[in-house]
Amino acid sequence: MPAVELRGITKRFPGVVANDAVDFTAEAGEVHALLGENGAGKSTLSHILSGLYRPDEGEIRVHGVPVAFHSPRDAIDAGICMVHQHFRLVDRFTVAQNLILGDRRGAGRRFRIDPGAVTDQVRRLGERYRLPVDPRARIWQLSVGERQRVEILKALYEEAKVLILDEPTAVLTPDESRTLFETLREIVAEGRTVIFISHKLREVKAVSDRVTVLRAGRVVATTNTADASPQSLASLMVGRTLETVQRRHTGTAEGDVVLALEDVWAHSDRATTSLKGVDVSVRAGEIVAVAGVAGNGQRELAETIAGLRGPTRGTVRVGGRRLPGGDARAAYRAGLGYVPEDRLGTGVAPNLSIAMNVDLKSYRDDSWGPFLRLARMRRRAEEAIRTYDIKAPGPDAEADTLSGGNIQKVVLAREFAGRLKALIAASPTRGLDVSAVETVHRHLCDAADRGVGVLLISEDLDEIFALADRVLVMYEGRLTEAPRDDRETIGVLMAGGHPAT
Amino acid sequence: MRFTIERRLEQPRWLAVAVPIGSLLFALVVAGVVLLVTGHDPISTYRQLFDAAFISSGALDQTLIAATPLAFTGLAAAAAFRMRLFNIGAEGQLYMGAIVGAAAGLYFGGRGGPSAFVIAAMVVAGCLGGMAWGSIPGVLRAFLGTSEILTSLMLNYVAAYILTYLIFQSESYWRQTTGFNAKVFPTGKPLPPDAIWPSWTLNAQGGIGIPLGALLAVLVAVVLWVLYRRMRFGFEVQVLGDSDGAARYAGVRTRRKILAVMAISGAIAGLGGVSQDGDFRHALDGDPNGLQKQAYGYTGIVVAALARYNPFACLVVAFLLGGLNNAGNALQGADFPSGLVGVIEGIILFSALGGELLVRHRVRISRTAHAPAATEPAQ
Amino acid sequence: MSGVNNSLIVALIASGVAYGTPLLFGSLGELLAERSGVLNLGVEGMMLVGAVMGFWTVQRVHAGAAVALTAAVLVAALSGAAMALIHAFLVITLRANQIVSGLALTIFAGAVGLSSYLGNDLNLADVPASHSFHAIFPSSMQSWPIVGPIAFGQNALVYLSWACVAAVAYYLARTRPGLNVRAVGEAPGAADAMGIDVAKYRYAHTLAGGAFAGVAGSTFTLAITPQWVNGITGGAGWIAIALVIFAFWRPELCLVGAYFFGSLQALAPELQARNISLGPTELWTNSIPYVATVVVLVLVSWRGASRRLGAPAALGSPYVREEVS
Repeated sequence: MPAVELRGITKRFPGVVANDAVDFTAEAGEVHALLGENGAGKSTLSHILSGLYRPDEGEIRVHGVPVAFHSPRDAIDAGICMVHQHFRLVDRFTVAQNLILGDRRGAGRRFRIDPGAVTDQVRRLGERYRLPVDPRARIWQLSVGERQRVEILKALYEEAKVLILDEPTAVLTPDESRTLFETLREIVAEGRTVIFISHKLREVKAVSDRVTVLRAGRVVATTNTADASPQSLASLMVGRTLETVQRRHTGTAEGDVVLALEDVWAHSDRATTSLKGVDVSVRAGEIVAVAGVAGNGQRELAETIAGLRGPTRGTVRVGGRRLPGGDARAAYRAGLGYVPEDRLGTGVAPNLSIAMNVDLKSYRDDSWGPFLRLARMRRRAEEAIRTYDIKAPGPDAEADTLSGGNIQKVVLAREFAGRLKALIAASPTRGLDVSAVETVHRHLCDAADRGVGVLLISEDLDEIFALADRVLVMYEGRLTEAPRDDRETIGVLMAGGHPAT
Repeated sequence: MRFTIERRLEQPRWLAVAVPIGSLLFALVVAGVVLLVTGHDPISTYRQLFDAAFISSGALDQTLIAATPLAFTGLAAAAAFRMRLFNIGAEGQLYMGAIVGAAAGLYFGGRGGPSAFVIAAMVVAGCLGGMAWGSIPGVLRAFLGTSEILTSLMLNYVAAYILTYLIFQSESYWRQTTGFNAKVFPTGKPLPPDAIWPSWTLNAQGGIGIPLGALLAVLVAVVLWVLYRRMRFGFEVQVLGDSDGAARYAGVRTRRKILAVMAISGAIAGLGGVSQDGDFRHALDGDPNGLQKQAYGYTGIVVAALARYNPFACLVVAFLLGGLNNAGNALQGADFPSGLVGVIEGIILFSALGGELLVRHRVRISRTAHAPAATEPAQ
Repeated sequence: MSGVNNSLIVALIASGVAYGTPLLFGSLGELLAERSGVLNLGVEGMMLVGAVMGFWTVQRVHAGAAVALTAAVLVAALSGAAMALIHAFLVITLRANQIVSGLALTIFAGAVGLSSYLGNDLNLADVPASHSFHAIFPSSMQSWPIVGPIAFGQNALVYLSWACVAAVAYYLARTRPGLNVRAVGEAPGAADAMGIDVAKYRYAHTLAGGAFAGVAGSTFTLAITPQWVNGITGGAGWIAIALVIFAFWRPELCLVGAYFFGSLQALAPELQARNISLGPTELWTNSIPYVATVVVLVLVSWRGASRRLGAPAALGSPYVREEVS
């Protein structure tokens, strides 16, 4: 009897069918991977299984019994717990308080809370699964890796029989990922089930027993992992032979230095030192990649260069000209483009139209003194929509009604216009489907070919290897040059180790 | 049956006008029911209101008097709320404008110079007074991130106490100290004749006075519209109002914008205050039962919300609400339900708020997913 | 021993408790609503409706004082909750702007709206209350030094307010629903994922806020000035809102703050009774509560402090479960 069974699940959203008659089973004691590119419907399916969404059609069976979940609590009561990609934790609460939140079993039914008993329980649980956390620590004090531990502990505390993990390694170093996989194997050895959602073939091969491939909302295959080759999985994911953009590397670049950082130091939002003496130079036509796990200063690096943050020491030069710190407009004027990691929160103003977003930085150039030239702005927007093939009802559509890929196209359309000298792209393809990824990669390569110097900050090593001329690794605010092709050395550097000489 | 609320992908223009008008009609119906249930005749009550507001002799005159301050505070609120800066302090900023404006009038007036100069000085002074008071929450918000909602609210009280103090509790510059009445009841010093603002009379309904304040309000609306829709300033305001992150990213000077918008908003409210001195009261009114009872500042927020922050719509709504308030005052008495004005205004605003949802979202009614055993799953 | 009880300080605190009781009820209610993430600026309006309906009840119920007054307080609570229901529906279900909605409620229910309408239509003005709250403890206890007037000279509503403070404090800190509501106010997404019904909690606490506000209003018409006058609360609702911030969203501090503000309100009349004139100082004492609140606001929004001391993180924003995959 399978632990979990989904039959004929269909879910529709305005404009898209996210899941189309999906059949899926997961057995007790197995790690079952749900593989698919971004937008294939993996997250939707997991949200349905964990009770956050209700399917439009189809049924769910847990241990053979049909169930209907009206809320996440029902799923949790049925033994299905989700570990989210963006942690659903209350920052101000302690670890213990987060764990007991919403608990309906046993002690949970009691009206009063006994803080001492909970703390002990949590501590014992942490020790048992080798996920040590201080039950009395507040979430905002914890690191990203520790927060993920708390999320997993939460599922175990709720005595989940089925754990769903959504892209868990996105925030981990290769080493931490390995430890996570060991923990998962221990968990399933107890007879539980783990559903592992990912778009990374390598991980799926490493940790899962079986894999189900989703494409465009449909199941295309379910097979034993051991029997499937990476190539076959990849082509199942995409539906055709994968043809990623690969750059021709023409040796060391000869162009002028378009972006230079000299001994740059900067603070994070929490007033800790985030960048420690960063030196980097990017030449015209070069793509320099910065690898590293999130949280090591990448955001501060991008923001300092783009002028959203002032360095506490050091200088940033674009095109040879020194930039005043913390002045985004000056950076733009000097010819710097910035494709931010947070598309919706920073890259576009979500409720404003595409037209306004395309002109987000150039409206000053288009203006007549303090007055705007609305007709000119509109023409610019229409041209951008055409050139970048942005799928939208019109230039007045609000930015957040677009798909992720199209939003990124709006950002690109804006950043690539004008006299661009250097470009910073931070995780530009996160959350995008393969064709959108291809588009972005193509535009980055074209820009480099045109003479733009590109600084690519990414956590995706595959992306880095496909595009970069040079690779640097970021760890705890410092940049180290790494050999371009050496995945293992890069992995060591990402974890803060020193590669064997 | 399940109700799902979905975001609209496109917003048809007609909806943006239909919804406010629809909510107005809805509100009138609901208020009518309230009247009916409490033993009043809705039709005749509405007719009385309409008559007292717009038709009867002297009605339009009084309506304009009631509407002018609402136009100013409505524009002040709209200017700030547009950028999601919730300036609740128009009330206090109005008082401050009245105080500083009256001071200018008392100081520059009666010296034999041209009246236009005195009035111009009053206008500037009123704006400065409101601007200064509005800048306090502005500075706190811009530099310390403190919520302007509560700071501006608190300052309303402080401003009210200052106003009362100047007339009731001290022998200040603004206080009338000579004359018989002065000993009996504290009043403000009357403005000299050249500090009194002109008005122009239309020959209709027995003469409708168009006070200078009303014309200034129209001018402010035009300026605000141009500023927000046709100038770089307005573009940046829109971006900042939508997303802090995107605004910083685009290089918008966030702090300067916050300061500027709060200053503008305060200045407009202050102008409303000095208009009270110059157009209508002809002295500084520190009576807690006078200017302070009118709640122009708070009603202005209602005006702005109903007008969906459009400056010209603010003028129209101010006129309508002014008419409502005027009628409410005029009809006060034994058989007219007091408090009706507030009830109607409240219901109008409630339905406008509810209707707002419809502009951006669509409500879909669907049947629940059918029971598992009913259909054979597709292969 | 009566000498010390007649001193300014003791008299001030005793009056401060009396004046501060509606502030305490009002702020406790608003605290509950805000802890669930809902900002309700309509407290003044809800208080007035509670005041007028409580008064109407006590005039209409022909029974002993205890029954009539209890009924009056209950009716006041229900009326306040009914007003809050409007706001709750608009901002929770229809996701309207919480600030505008709260202001609309104040206008609708306030001194130029429903409370005035009811007060007039029901002919409640100019007649004293049939029953009103008086001190409970015998006068012998009331003359004990210091504690006498302050603790034993108060009426039942004051003692009720103390019980409420303890109850709300215990509820938030030590019970499961209290933990849940705090989660709803801080991170509704997390609460939702743990199966807590965000909307239900917000409705419940907003209505509770209204009930408290209603009782606060009835304190005026049944205890302080046992009579109905239009606009009798005189801005207490706004002070209650300020109080919640001043108290760092903690019930115990609401008590301290309410009596502090109450004492400031009592200052002028007490001094007058002693023939001490305040002069310009009155301006300062009147303004202190508001200025103090601004100072607290600045403190809690200071970057470092907000994490520990500040408002519930999700205060003021409507919660929509993400429906985009």
